[in-house]
Amino acid sequence: MADLVEQLVHGLTLGSLYAMVATGLALMFGVVRLINFAHGEFYMLGGYAFWYGYRELGLPYPLAALAAVGAMGVFGLVYERSVIRSILTRTWHVQLIATLATSITLTNLAILVFGTQPKEVPTPLSSAVVDVGGVRLAWQRVVVLLAAVAIFAGLEWFVTRARLGKAMRAMSQNREACAVVGVDVQQVALATFGISAALAGAAAALVSPLFNIFPDVGSLLTLKAFAAVIVGGFGFVKGAIAAAFLIGVAESLAAGYVSYAYKDAIAFMVMVVVLLVRPQGLFGRRIGI
Amino acid sequence: MTGVRAAGWAGAAVLLVALPWLVAVALPGQERYVLHVAVFTTLYAALALSYDLVVGHVGSLSLAHPAFFGIGAYAAALLATGAAWPFPAALLAGVAAAGVVALVLGVPLFRLTEHSFAMGTLGFALVTQIVATNWVDFTGGPLCVTGIPKPALGALRITTLPGFYWMGLVAVVAVGLLYQRLTTFRLGRAFHAVRDNETLASAASIDPLRYRMLAFVIGGAVAGGIGALYVSYVGVLCPGELGVSLTVALLVMVFLGGVGSLRGVIVGAVAFTALPEVLRMAPTWRMVIYGLLLLVIVVRAPEGIEGLLRRGGARRRPASTGA
Amino acid sequence: MTVTWRTAIAIGVGLTLAAGAGGVARAQTPSGPPIRVGFSSAMTGPSAITGEGVKWAAQMLADEYNGRGGIMGRKIELSFGDNAGTPGEAVSAVRKLVDVDRVDVIIGQTHSGACLGALPVVKELQVPMVIEACSHPKIREMIGKNGNEWAFRVNPDDVMLANQFARYMAQSTKTVSIFAQNDDFGRGAATAYDAAFKKVGIKLVSTEFFDRGQADYRPVLTRVKRANPEAVLLIMLASEGSVFMRQFRELGLTQKLYARGSMATAEFLYQVKDTPSIADGLVEATYWTPALDPAWEKQWLDRWKVPVRIHGSLAAIAFRYAVAPAIEQAIRKTGRADRRTIRDALEEIDVPNTPVGRIRFDDTHQAFINMLLVEISGGQLKVLERIPILP
Repeated sequence: MADLVEQLVHGLTLGSLYAMVATGLALMFGVVRLINFAHGEFYMLGGYAFWYGYRELGLPYPLAALAAVGAMGVFGLVYERSVIRSILTRTWHVQLIATLATSITLTNLAILVFGTQPKEVPTPLSSAVVDVGGVRLAWQRVVVLLAAVAIFAGLEWFVTRARLGKAMRAMSQNREACAVVGVDVQQVALATFGISAALAGAAAALVSPLFNIFPDVGSLLTLKAFAAVIVGGFGFVKGAIAAAFLIGVAESLAAGYVSYAYKDAIAFMVMVVVLLVRPQGLFGRRIGI
Repeated sequence: MTGVRAAGWAGAAVLLVALPWLVAVALPGQERYVLHVAVFTTLYAALALSYDLVVGHVGSLSLAHPAFFGIGAYAAALLATGAAWPFPAALLAGVAAAGVVALVLGVPLFRLTEHSFAMGTLGFALVTQIVATNWVDFTGGPLCVTGIPKPALGALRITTLPGFYWMGLVAVVAVGLLYQRLTTFRLGRAFHAVRDNETLASAASIDPLRYRMLAFVIGGAVAGGIGALYVSYVGVLCPGELGVSLTVALLVMVFLGGVGSLRGVIVGAVAFTALPEVLRMAPTWRMVIYGLLLLVIVVRAPEGIEGLLRRGGARRRPASTGA
Repeated sequence: MTVTWRTAIAIGVGLTLAAGAGGVARAQTPSGPPIRVGFSSAMTGPSAITGEGVKWAAQMLADEYNGRGGIMGRKIELSFGDNAGTPGEAVSAVRKLVDVDRVDVIIGQTHSGACLGALPVVKELQVPMVIEACSHPKIREMIGKNGNEWAFRVNPDDVMLANQFARYMAQSTKTVSIFAQNDDFGRGAATAYDAAFKKVGIKLVSTEFFDRGQADYRPVLTRVKRANPEAVLLIMLASEGSVFMRQFRELGLTQKLYARGSMATAEFLYQVKDTPSIADGLVEATYWTPALDPAWEKQWLDRWKVPVRIHGSLAAIAFRYAVAPAIEQAIRKTGRADRRTIRDALEEIDVPNTPVGRIRFDDTHQAFINMLLVEISGGQLKVLERIPILP
């Protein structure tokens, strides 16, 4: 029984990671209908930003984490202005290939700048272990889960209460109507990217102490986040979050009880099965984020 | 075809067939390397053409091509090493295995919308690589399939570089002819109708599913055949060759060269395979440049080099009768 | 400013040429033509980390030897090949090194798939290749008198190490779980230890494989906890090992640890420097440790301004103790250091007192360097034993 709880704990950590990354993807797809294949690289760059702040500059953990979030937010804005602007109105083939190309460029630039050696950023909380009824987990895992919940709650507040957030939701539901009523569509798109990238940066700052950072860390993550977005229903953020946790837990359980070697296939098999059986996603076709 | 054009084609054919001797004269001491690059170039060109059938002519952005390449490669490699199948049979097995998988997969996949189709094919490609890596008892996993025999057709044995080059040349010519046949006349028009306006096409009683499946299965089967040829040249097959990097390579070749165009795709394949060898740049920088190039091309010049060539041609001959 | 595609392509080509030009540097030598040594490893792709180490090692070695005037007055000129860890690219890398860069000898390919792809090519092109790290057990059946007189191997594979290491483990352990990386190294080693354990009466309780770069080990650690062996044999490198150890301790596991890979290394200790005792008691069977050549380690850190050395040691061993002596012997005996004379010299060299043991290739072109047992103790590395590997 403790065994099962342990696997679930791990699944929740994974799920939080996938959910934070998938949320950004879902936001981008929901608001501007764009598939961003370079999203995992937001996580990777966020990880390096966090590493730089925490290890190289010696900032305290919360500050380094915020710095990573801020840095990625800015990066998201720059990315939107430079790459995305020119592909927003193009076919999705172009969008997919353009963002894939960006992904390749960023990954290899990271190799050139940071080297291939993975960077580790353990924090006091990732080494300190709490024992809850026989199940041992690093405090950092608790932080990850709590922070993820807080972030999602904050996001929900944002899209229901804040003006910009409501504009984002409106745009995801009916873009033309937004333009008609005077919503600054460009600005909302820009903000969406900033927020999505910042989310990835937050995920990196939270999860990197438990794992590590290397140039290629984003590629598998992008794919699993995509799996979550698809399973949750393209563009439906809450669906993506739920699907991400589902995938995280399924992966952990499969790894623990079925086969560790095939665990990565789980996310993709879940995705393929959902695509074949219920292509509109587990929660049905929803309009808007 | 006019006499001048026919002569042009014949001349090109002679040059291509005579390449081994030309290279030995022009670049003495380096001819083996150049021929090796030529082998890879011809095989990649054929692979890129098979990919372009799906992406360029029916407009389905499939990301599963490395999986078909890999399925064909593994089928041929395992049968040739484990069951001593002769080369022609192993080659056919590679083609058939990939084609059958494409058929089985295509039916459910094509019911999906475009985005989901792309992700579904990607998921399939990833699962294929994971299985190839971990089903060690069957595929050898990371310990690879070794000792794959060189091609032999009866008494004809391909063991030299010129021999492999001619094999590659035959492959790309055969695939090129197939590509031409499929993408012109009525069949080609049907493909393009499905690609450009699916609703209109079905209204005109052109069944999109049927034509997409046709392109997908043929493209997949050809990819499997190229996989079989590839492993007969390299002699060793490891699961790492089925990765995303092959998808990236194919996308660069097709889009850099000119999606939907025979000449364009071949130019793209040559540029992608041969150019880095000529320019000899640091490998990681090469990847950065591919990424940037792909980005710029797809945004600014989506017709790729072929588009540039066409535009150049049209400007030079204002009353153009077509390139 | 809008960047037209023409501009962008021009920039792209310009960058390309610049990057290419950077790679071409021909040294002028005062006496005799330079000896061209090719190093081939994974410079791109998922295993690019090994290529970086090999490259740095090669550059340091070239500077070291050329600083002394070269080998018998002949300077060393380096060329690099990228095999991306795959056999297809290895074929390209070898052909480029031989026909374009005109190397006299190749050191490589680090990854077994690449080695297997390269072997027939070096035979066809008649260039000697000294394998420095490929661990595929089939290689021994293919080189030397077994069919390829141009290939040599310095490193042992786990079939060669397993019996001795298993015997050592059997002194204090009855049940073991293997936890191995999912590549040629890990798979080959796992098979070898499975067989070796049977010979010494150790029960192999479970075997798990993990993909490199996948830093979440909790599910499998829970499986290991369930299987409850006395000891765990880790077949992994330091970059994964440090994350693994944290999670190992997080779960409260206390098994005795053995390792093959690069766990008992300065690199690992650097990664865990916040908790240096995290792997105390771990015993690794390896063939290199900083204590064998502290000057080299220090030089590396000073030169590359990195906190710790990673990889490159096997390429250095191959060059220092096999290729360089062979070049010297070739020049002494025949006055020439070309492909054939270097190959012949490699067959004959017998260098008894290197830090890694005696370097001599048997008729299967395999060298038998020492196996070292290194323990992590008090956050430091301690050499326990030096065991010659028997043919």
